[in-house]
Amino acid sequence: MKPMKCSTGSQPVGAGWRAGATFALLSIATAAFSQVSNYKNIKTPPLRSFTVEQPKRVVLSNGMVIFLQEDHELPLIRGSALIRGGSRDVPADKAGLVQILAGSWRTGGTETRTGDQLDDILESRAARVETTGSEDATRVTIDVLKNDFDFVFPIFVELLQKPAFRQDKIDLAKTQVRTQIARRNDEPQGILQREAQKLGYGADSPYARTAEYATLNNITHEDLIAFHHRFVQPNNIVFGIVGDFDSAAMEKKLRATFESWPRGESAPPPPPVNAQAKPGVYFISKEDVTQANIAAVHPATLLRRDPDYYAVEVMNTILSGGFSGRLMNEIRSKAGLAYGVGGGLSSGWDRPMLFNTFMGTKSQTTIQSVDLLKQEIADLQTKPFTTEELQHAKESILNRYVFTMDSKAKVLNQRQQLEFYGYPADFVQKFQEGIRNVTASDVERVAKKYVHPDQLAILVVGNEKDFEKPLTVAYGRVTPIDITIPEPGGQPAAAAPAKGSSTDARALLNKVRNFVGGQTAIANVQTVREVGTMSLKTPQGPMDVEVENITRFPESHRQVLKTPMGEMTMVSTPDGAFMISPAGPRDLPDSQRQAIRSESKQDMLNVLKNADNPAYTFNIVGTENNAQILEVNADGSTFKWYVDPTSGKPLKKVSQGRMGEQVIEYTEWKNVNGINLPVAFTVTGGANSGTGKMSTIEINPAVDAKLFEKPVAQ
Amino acid sequence: MRKILSLLLLTAASLSAQDLVSFEKHVTVRKLDNGLTVIIVERPEAPVFSYATVVNVGNAQEVPGITGLAHMFEHMAFKGSETLGSTNYDAEKAGLQKVENTYAAYDLERRKTIGRDDAKVAQLEKAWKDAMDEAQKYVVPNEFSKVVDQAGGVGMNAFTRSDETVYFYSLPSNRLELWAYLESERFLHPVFREFYKERDVVTEERRMRTESNPIGRVVEEFLATAFTAHPYRQPTVGYPSDLKAFSATDAAAFFKKYYVPSNMVVAVVGDVKPSETMPIIEKYFGRLPKAPVPEPLRTIEPPQKAERLVVLHEKSQPVYLEGYHRPAITDPDDPTYDVMEMLLSVGRTSHLYRSLVRDKKIAAVAQGFNGFPGVKYPNLFTFFAITTPGHTPQEITTAIAEETNKLKNEDVTPEELQSPAWRWSSRWRRRSKATGASCSASSIVSTR
Repeated sequence: MKPMKCSTGSQPVGAGWRAGATFALLSIATAAFSQVSNYKNIKTPPLRSFTVEQPKRVVLSNGMVIFLQEDHELPLIRGSALIRGGSRDVPADKAGLVQILAGSWRTGGTETRTGDQLDDILESRAARVETTGSEDATRVTIDVLKNDFDFVFPIFVELLQKPAFRQDKIDLAKTQVRTQIARRNDEPQGILQREAQKLGYGADSPYARTAEYATLNNITHEDLIAFHHRFVQPNNIVFGIVGDFDSAAMEKKLRATFESWPRGESAPPPPPVNAQAKPGVYFISKEDVTQANIAAVHPATLLRRDPDYYAVEVMNTILSGGFSGRLMNEIRSKAGLAYGVGGGLSSGWDRPMLFNTFMGTKSQTTIQSVDLLKQEIADLQTKPFTTEELQHAKESILNRYVFTMDSKAKVLNQRQQLEFYGYPADFVQKFQEGIRNVTASDVERVAKKYVHPDQLAILVVGNEKDFEKPLTVAYGRVTPIDITIPEPGGQPAAAAPAKGSSTDARALLNKVRNFVGGQTAIANVQTVREVGTMSLKTPQGPMDVEVENITRFPESHRQVLKTPMGEMTMVSTPDGAFMISPAGPRDLPDSQRQAIRSESKQDMLNVLKNADNPAYTFNIVGTENNAQILEVNADGSTFKWYVDPTSGKPLKKVSQGRMGEQVIEYTEWKNVNGINLPVAFTVTGGANSGTGKMSTIEINPAVDAKLFEKPVAQ
Repeated sequence: MRKILSLLLLTAASLSAQDLVSFEKHVTVRKLDNGLTVIIVERPEAPVFSYATVVNVGNAQEVPGITGLAHMFEHMAFKGSETLGSTNYDAEKAGLQKVENTYAAYDLERRKTIGRDDAKVAQLEKAWKDAMDEAQKYVVPNEFSKVVDQAGGVGMNAFTRSDETVYFYSLPSNRLELWAYLESERFLHPVFREFYKERDVVTEERRMRTESNPIGRVVEEFLATAFTAHPYRQPTVGYPSDLKAFSATDAAAFFKKYYVPSNMVVAVVGDVKPSETMPIIEKYFGRLPKAPVPEPLRTIEPPQKAERLVVLHEKSQPVYLEGYHRPAITDPDDPTYDVMEMLLSVGRTSHLYRSLVRDKKIAAVAQGFNGFPGVKYPNLFTFFAITTPGHTPQEITTAIAEETNKLKNEDVTPEELQSPAWRWSSRWRRRSKATGASCSASSIVSTR
């Protein structure tokens, strides 16, 4: 085997295939021991020199910067307007605005054409005009066959300058984002990424906060128009175009289109990063997984324009570059503990970012992996960077440099990006020099300066009962993070400022309490059972559902629905929530449990029972027709009652659900044992529209406690 | 409907014919004496090249007991060779043989269902682990990757699917010979070092993609339900029991059977002249020994006789899949299925977007796509939907049925068909922009 191996592997370029030569090589190789790997014998000719055509830069009198790059390989033209201003520039109570903006900009159409019309026009020509948004920018892009450019470009310009943001597409975009919110805790890696950012920057930071149902409800058509007006100004735009065109003719076309666009207000500087990860161990419980996901983060301070950037890039490559960095070698290959492992110190273009490393391992090796990951981070400061590591990292970066400019489009994108962040045009060229000059002591110095092993916030997402030992046993103090998705109007009680109640609101509430039955009678209600029918409008047509509700105050509910698809039971108690469907019983996810809790706080009798509880506050926020609008904050769950001020009779209830605003109008009331309750109602908006009619209402009936216990699955 | 379809496809073909001709001018295809197909595409825009090695083997070639082995071998192909990744290969080789021997003894004892001696299991396990520690002494971890990285390699990776295993990366063009050496050596002298640790890594991959991910879990159930006999029912990553059991010896046997030159295609795209490149490829890849083409798969999925439904109760939000059996890619109807996919799924004018996403608002994503889980054998046309909050999978079933009924019972207008024809040709042109993409696309087409 050995001779074959040596002879086959060691042919130098152009060497003959003679047996004599092979044997000679064999004896040399044997003498020199097989440490001399044969790939080293392969000659590397110098890389063919090639110059990259730089795009032409044009600055219009209104401040708009344009880059033109000819590329005649295929009959295509692609362009993008990179516009300053993104999600970090919107107020916290409207988080998600840029997502909604990007999602309804193109689909919402222009002043002259709806988005649906644009779909037909563009797709019939295989053309694309799209809008996207990110942390610091929005983009409008065009991608067309060359011959369609003159037809499609005016559409691009109209969309850029005069979007309509039609309401139906805003609603559609909100539905899309609500779907993302509802699903954001389904997959552990998504949770890890999101929550590691929140730990690193602080949960409310413009660089980490996420859209919530409540913030989506705050976003209006006017907000989108205002954002567009504020940021989409020529002096905030860097426009790049590449493809099969003549630059002079294209420049003329672009000048004719954009030169007359008046200058507007400049984008503000990036908001400050008040990064605040507190060192320690944080835990998020996720039971339906076999793997623990781990992150170790701390705030960083480095910007890309800093001279230390190059040494940090070399350090990052040693830590986790390619498939042969330290993390890969130690945690994946040698220990077999992870499939995915990586991370490093990020340097922002215009604001500091984080040191962030992450991995996933089986639940049973969680603690072992956390310790190993921490060790690898600590080693950055204690385990010397070897000459070989340094050389490997530098050569990897330098040799792959050619890939940063292997297409005209890439070169254009780079120039656009440098311009956007105010970096010099030769930044990319200087990068090579910067890397070449990095020494081992530079890497050692930056590792000490920017990496802080004692300041790490360690985040673990997983199923703790399968860990080799509890995190608290391993690390002492562990801070749990609650990732329950807040329902609209249901901000955690701590976050909602306790506003207190106004006197006139108290008076109105008393009227309502008297209308329903008075303080004593209401306090005596322990259980309510209602039976009736709901007629729902569904996409498949009307559907009748028989319903039975049992409420045991303070917070146990049982609902049985008999639908054409079968019987469904949902039970919520202080201990948990479950449902029973034809497929058997199962626990409800946290998000639904939270939704039911929030809804049950809004129960009419519950609110009136808690009229004097300081966690329940009441305010009059307006009038409509003759009704007074009473805003109720029921321990963090908010809604509005429209009340007849004379009788104290509630006429309707308005609340924000995850499907938007829901209105319940009370159409018929019935007095049962001295308690006045609505027995017929109409529901519009929200998840289900329809009517309901209760045929039976019982106050304090005998109820079997077993009904609230989860049956054992068969 | 059929007639209109084929007519318009002709138009589509003629639209892109010009591009194809100019593309073909830069393509050189050659079959080496050992049966290996080599494709070279010259694109001299920058001094770089990309390659893909496509092996006509996937998890469809696995049987129970060795599920996941095709993918496992893919991981092993990054472990180096006899000349790469070892400080002393002779000693390592002896060590690896000992690992296999001790593992076989341990595995035999631990999987006994009757008369297992637990003390003996523990003792054999220790012997195996000691043997692994011994062999590990000679390992230079990830030396293969290191050499590629240091030469300026980017995008190095590989994937295994039901039908194929594909390896790829890009290098500066002055490294062509280094690449030819490394890539041929990988399949000429593979060494199954760190096999059992890598098996743990693959098991972590399974935990990540399947066990800890609701979509992964439902896809596994879906395929196991849709196919009862054909290996498309088996997960590519393998069943946990098999991942705990199979050995490097199993992997070597699998490799020997399927990694033969007549079952492989190597494609190179970039700043490469065929006249200079072909001899280098021939010199290195010509060393792979000629061997018979593996026999075709025997099992054919029997006709489905009843609707099959699988419901996975999870804590997560609903994910919906609905599949229909369709013939293999070699069937003359294949282009019709492609057009159906475009009409149903591609763009905002597609039927499923307009109905389920835009109008009914019951789905955030709704698509129907071909070739699940593979295309080489009869497979599934699959609908996939993500429900919006408050809406149920039942609503999705009804809405998809409406759309498929329309497609069956109403004529598709010529105007509507023109759009996919255009999109098809333009998508082709856009795809051919990316060196890596056109490389693997052309080589994949060729393996099939």
